[in-house]
Amino acid sequence: MAALDNSQDYVIEMLHITKEFPGIKANDDITLQLRRGEIHALLGENGAGKSTLMSVLFGLYQPEQGEIRKNGERVLINNPNDATALGIGMVHQHFKLVEVFTVLDNIILGAETTGALGFLKKAEARKKVQALSEKYGLKVDLDAKVEDITVGMQQRVEILKMLYRDNEILIFDEPTAVLTPQEIEELMATMKEFAREGKSILFISHKLNEIMAVADRVSVLRKGKYVGTVNTADTNKQELSNMMVGRPVQLVVTKDDARPGEDVLRVEHFSVPSHVHKRNAVNDVSFTVRAGEIVCIAGIDGNGQTELVYGLSGMDKSNGGSVTLCGEDITHYSIHRRGGNMSHIPEDRHKHGLVLDFTLEQNLVLQRFREPQFQHAGFIDEGAVRGYAQRLIEQYDVRSGQGPVTKARSMSGGNQQKAIIAREVDRDKPLIIAVQPTRGLDVGAIEYIHSQLVAERDRGKAILLVSLELDEVMSLSDRILVMYEGEIVGELDPKKTNVQELGLYMAGAKREGKEALA
Amino acid sequence: MNQKEPLLQREGAKSVLASLLSIAIGLAFGALAILVVGLASRDLGAGSAWEGIRLIFGGLFSTGRGASGALTWGFNGQNIGNMLFRAMPLIMTGLSVAMAYKTGLFNIGAPGQYLMGTLASLAIALGIPSGALPKPLIWLLAFCGAILAGAIWGAIPGALKAFLNINEVIACIMTNWIAANFVTWMFSISNFKNVVENTKSSYIYKTTYGLVDGKYVSGAGIATSKMGLDKVFPGSQINGGILIAILFAIGVYVMMEKTTFGYELKACGSNRHAARYAGISDRRNIVLSMVIAGGLSAAGAGLYCLSGNTEFFWSTYQSLPAIGFNGIPVALLAVCNPIGVIFTAIFMSMLSISGLQLTNLTAYNEYITDVIIAVIVYLSAFSLVIKMWLGRRKDKVGAVDANAEPLVPKSEPKTVSEAKGGDEA
Repeated sequence: MAALDNSQDYVIEMLHITKEFPGIKANDDITLQLRRGEIHALLGENGAGKSTLMSVLFGLYQPEQGEIRKNGERVLINNPNDATALGIGMVHQHFKLVEVFTVLDNIILGAETTGALGFLKKAEARKKVQALSEKYGLKVDLDAKVEDITVGMQQRVEILKMLYRDNEILIFDEPTAVLTPQEIEELMATMKEFAREGKSILFISHKLNEIMAVADRVSVLRKGKYVGTVNTADTNKQELSNMMVGRPVQLVVTKDDARPGEDVLRVEHFSVPSHVHKRNAVNDVSFTVRAGEIVCIAGIDGNGQTELVYGLSGMDKSNGGSVTLCGEDITHYSIHRRGGNMSHIPEDRHKHGLVLDFTLEQNLVLQRFREPQFQHAGFIDEGAVRGYAQRLIEQYDVRSGQGPVTKARSMSGGNQQKAIIAREVDRDKPLIIAVQPTRGLDVGAIEYIHSQLVAERDRGKAILLVSLELDEVMSLSDRILVMYEGEIVGELDPKKTNVQELGLYMAGAKREGKEALA
Repeated sequence: MNQKEPLLQREGAKSVLASLLSIAIGLAFGALAILVVGLASRDLGAGSAWEGIRLIFGGLFSTGRGASGALTWGFNGQNIGNMLFRAMPLIMTGLSVAMAYKTGLFNIGAPGQYLMGTLASLAIALGIPSGALPKPLIWLLAFCGAILAGAIWGAIPGALKAFLNINEVIACIMTNWIAANFVTWMFSISNFKNVVENTKSSYIYKTTYGLVDGKYVSGAGIATSKMGLDKVFPGSQINGGILIAILFAIGVYVMMEKTTFGYELKACGSNRHAARYAGISDRRNIVLSMVIAGGLSAAGAGLYCLSGNTEFFWSTYQSLPAIGFNGIPVALLAVCNPIGVIFTAIFMSMLSISGLQLTNLTAYNEYITDVIIAVIVYLSAFSLVIKMWLGRRKDKVGAVDANAEPLVPKSEPKTVSEAKGGDEA
């Protein structure tokens, strides 16, 4: 327990906060003290209680015990409006923007300045936003509709929203999960600029690199309990991750050299049309993945990786080239038939990976419910499904409130992902396509998923990994293919390259002759 | 849910409670309306209002007025039988809406499918000359013909949705009116129009009329078997159709909850993208869902028309059958549970029987029950909101996981306006 000093330096103090939900204490006597002008990171695994704590601060939940102080005085925050009035602003992990409104409309929404008859004074607002945007280098197009701008720009809109409301306590809930490496760097710089000006920042994350790079202090939560607060200057990544998980964690993937076998997936001159523009999203791509190796497609988000996987899995139609899987030409197969030799861990676990309103056990047989072991004459064998689900839950340590009958929606992100991994790995197909399998997960879950993928590789599976995380690309893959604007611009050996070189390929600054790839 | 959960925290219990609450509020509102009308009217008064309120709640067991002029109560087989008879087609249209809803489709096309079922069943029943085939076979052909016609009619919006991504609500509304005009046209050029009972115009023969030597003769046609139910509920219109409707409800329940087909349909309904990802053909399932929904609606029409004691007013081009639309509140009030549909359909019919009793025994008229039904219909759309509210109060299990999705009920099936669901693809 941190010593509670009465220093007036604390702009926000959350003292002994306890928030209970039936059956679980999401926050158990947590104390968090935020100094003026500091960047304070809140670190914890999925389900550790970070979001609950921030929801309490933002007025979305009322704590059973404990109090919140601002500048040493006790305050009551009953709803987000109270929080805003106290100068607390929050950038949510999933942005809260009106997609069909313009950027400017979104920024002023709820804090509009109006004239005598209730007419909007947009010109005034525009000036203020422009001034803020210039001051902090937050480039946005004020007249673009939110649905048309990039995720990075949407985040800048959210930040401008806070600044427009003159908030001085800024909460960032996992802000980097959706950003490209470049955007992350810009965000870090902006955050530091805010801190220099005396704004106080709460930064929720489980990415240790970022925390070490930007935060002054770190408070760690584990399973709803407060573990401790440390200065980043006095700690290191290993110590932080041990605090967070409660046991020593393997931060680096340990694996032997690959012993690739024969070709499992062969892609030749493959093209997939784009839904956004007239060019191909994937253009004339050729590569192979062999049994017993992890091939990683690296690249900045939006360079055709998603479409490539859609094309390979059959979720989108291709418009050129061929795909051969296990010696069979599957170019024109249905999704179902491709599933015969292919497991697919999808990029978007809520959109594609799970039926959120189904139970865990129903989700675990999403592709397999027609197999004879799970049905007789069209009637689902509930006992068999239950037994299978229980085995997977145990074997892959999928945690949930009510076991097999838990609604997928009520599970934490990490466990949702684990359930998908369990399902796809257990289908035991020669090829596993894994798209950003560790996105948004904490180190404990990442460690687990990485070790699973390596284990599958060692069992002779061919693994095609699509990742935006450079660390993951470097540590997990046996070969790296870099995609840029729909084409593969380089093949690299992770042992012989470095992040800098990889970055140059990803940014399109460097490319090698295509003939070297096939 | 095999865990030891308190009864009130179960999903199902909450749904039932929410529906009961809607009903209670609706009835209370009706009672209030009766009271206000009674006190405000010169002909009525507090005494009549009290009678009216009792009839609204217990009209089913009213047996008229005794010698002293007071209301008498007791088992009324005719009332109960008629209630079940009226519930019969409602169960079917309710099932149609409920089943489509579970697949993420809002079948507002039930009236049109019902009309197509009416056309097919009557045309087959009246078109086959008496004696050409055994009567049960004619009945079966007419019933199956109705289902087929409704299925085809349901397939149209289904296919438009699946292949062209046209909102099924719009397509259903259009096919409804096409059906109304088509059916009117077909009957107007047919020779099924009742010319024997001259007092009636624009009616089609009951199916008890049969074609003998080019003329329709009463008693030569077909009618659904009473299966002895007329002995239990003497003097009522009831027949074996109600049992068939209940069997259908059980069948739909089993199909949706126990079979791989139902699993596929529900997967498509709750997340079309995930279903596609898993290799389930979402298009095929959307079409099939509407085919089945259409067949169910039309089967209701078949049961109703083939009863033998119903007459069809064929000139329908200006109005769609209320039974079709009433399937929507029946389904919503049952939270789209096929078994629940049986009970909500019976409840709705009970209200209309109460309304009749009100008209017969007091100076009130039956339209007051329409007010009650309207309130319940509104509330049934809210029953999901009520359910959520119950959920907040009674348990917060949904929030157990601190990092789970926010409590905002994205998942809850939505109110009617949102019910079109799943077409944002």
